[in-house]
This record gives sequence, structure tokens and C-alpha cells, in this order.
Amino acid sequence: MANINISCIAVIGKQNNPLYIKNFNPSHADLKYHYIAHTSCDVMEERAAMKAQDMYLGVLFSMEDLSVYGYMTNTKIKFIIVLTVPDVIIKDLDMKNIFRRIHTAYGNHVSNPFYEIDSLKMIKSKKFEQEIEAIGRGRALEGGNRNSLMGAP
Amino acid sequence: MAANQVPSKLVNEAAVEFLTTEMVEAMIRTIKDDPLKTGTDFDPSYGNPNDGAGGPKDYSEGDEAMEAVYYKLEMIGFRVGERLIEKISKDRLRFTDNLDVVKFVCKEVWMFLFKKQIDNLKTNHRGVYVLQDNSFRWFTRMAHDQSSAESVKRVTPYLWFPCGILRGILSNLGIASVVVAETSSLPACTFQIKIAKQT
Repeated sequence: MANINISCIAVIGKQNNPLYIKNFNPSHADLKYHYIAHTSCDVMEERAAMKAQDMYLGVLFSMEDLSVYGYMTNTKIKFIIVLTVPDVIIKDLDMKNIFRRIHTAYGNHVSNPFYEIDSLKMIKSKKFEQEIEAIGRGRALEGGNRNSLMGAP
Repeated sequence: MAANQVPSKLVNEAAVEFLTTEMVEAMIRTIKDDPLKTGTDFDPSYGNPNDGAGGPKDYSEGDEAMEAVYYKLEMIGFRVGERLIEKISKDRLRFTDNLDVVKFVCKEVWMFLFKKQIDNLKTNHRGVYVLQDNSFRWFTRMAHDQSSAESVKRVTPYLWFPCGILRGILSNLGIASVVVAETSSLPACTFQIKIAKQT
């Protein structure tokens, strides 16, 4: 997973409302990723209707030096990863793993009873932010995903 | 990655069962014993609130207080189901249609909640699904009179929470529904899911 260079991770809600967006690449403004995330909504819906089955939707489109990957959960939450196009080929399996980690992070966040699922508000959670940060920087989160209470100092 | 894998957490089943049972009791107690809400100072159908045994409670339907209890328990279930589904459906393929979702509920969700599958699923193919469980796990350890109407009546509030869970699960998957449960002979019970027509 070392050669995957994540520029941005975005989470889009059920009503295509932005839930979370994180920019890992200072060479583009946040606005650009908001734009990309919004343009990919339609593509994702289309893909999901077409080749249903898998939650991983593959490369949605490429834009200049960026390629956009999508993933839609059963609950219609969309995850988007934007990559700077690398020299090497990126395996779908690696991308799937990254998306799965995001999904786990989201699942853990949603389990918080104080988070209103349909509130259309952006996600504000230190824990979720840490997890996304770790995924975006391409490292494993210390102490695993859910056990921060027990292990790790 | 391997170093980060943590052993899955386990929960004592008895504790969960006590919790769900007590939750229903607490709801009934707090709402029924609140004279402001029921509008009466004294309701002979339940015992003295200070009496540990609780005394006989009236679980009859149509009662305003019980409506409130129903609403609360169902809402709690709804919120639980809404969140639960995000976790259970994580490693699953996308659902193709409503029947697929209901099958998933019968198999995997039931397995997750009650460690067994639904025994019988019936449908009229017009959005009504009847799920029959021949020994509902939360009832198996309840003392009861096999076919007494009184037991059936008393056990009804305990079905509201799982009803809410089902509705929450379906709602988060994008299916608006109404879920009702009934039981005729314990510990069997049936859940009826009515899926609203898509507009």
C-alpha cells in the first residue's frame, strides 16, 4: 500500500450531502475536491445501478493528474478517494482494503448514539478524524481500529 | 496489519437479556407511574410504585400510557437498528431488491441478534412479509403459561424493541416499512413487515 498516494478522502451522505472531506495534498485547494466529490455522485449512482453487486465501484473518472475511486455502502453512503496518478499500477485489492478501513471507521462513528444519522451535518469527531488521517497517510492506526480504550497508551 | 488485529469483544448474553428485559420494565414504570402524563393520580391497574414486586400491570393496548411506552421502545429499537446495519452489512454484496433484504434480515440479522435463523418466511409478493420464529430467543427463558392469554398480553411490550430494530434496519437500507409483531403461543412469535409502496 506504500505506493498509493491519497490526495483526498470524502464521505458523501444519503442525500448526496457532504459528510466529511479531507485534503491530504496541499497542491490543490479544498474547493477542487469538493467539486470532484460532487461530480462523482452521479457517476456512482450510475455504476451502482449498472454493475450492482460489489460495493467497490472502481475508478470513476480521471481528471488531469487525479483519478477518482468510489465505493457505495448498502446504506447509500458514498466514499470517494482521489489519488494523484502514480507511475505504477494500482491494484483493486489495495483500494478495496482502504475503502474497507474507511467503512469500518464510518461504522464505528455511526455507532455513537450522539451522532444523528440523518441530520445532514458534517461529521465532527476526533476519533473519526484520526482514523481517516491514518488511512490517508497510509499507516495503520496504533492499537487497532476500535480498541483505543484498552491498548495503546 | 496483522499486528493490529484485536480479538473480537464478547458480551455476556445473560447481561444483554437482563438489560433488554429491564429496559421494557423501566419504560413501563417511568411512564405509567408518572401521574402528570397519565392524568390520573391513582390507577388501580398497577400496584404501588414503591412495592418492589411491582404488582399487576395492565398491558392492555389502546391505553394512552402504553402507547407512549410503545413509541419510546420502538424509537430506541429504530435507532439501534439504524446503526447496527452499517456494521452487519459491511462485508456483504449490494442488495438487489426488497426480497433480498428481507432474506438477509431472516438469515444474517437474526443470526447476529438471536443466534438463530428465522424458521419460516412468507410473503404475498406485494410488500408484506411474515417472519415466523418458533422459539424467539428473548422469550425462551421467560416463565409463562403455555397458551394463556394473560402471558401473551404481558409479553407484547417485549416485542416492540425488536420491531423497532427491524424498522431501523430497513429504513437505513432505504425501505420505508411498518413492522408489527405478535405471538399466539410462547415462545414462538411472528413479525410482519409491511413495506410501503415506493413512490
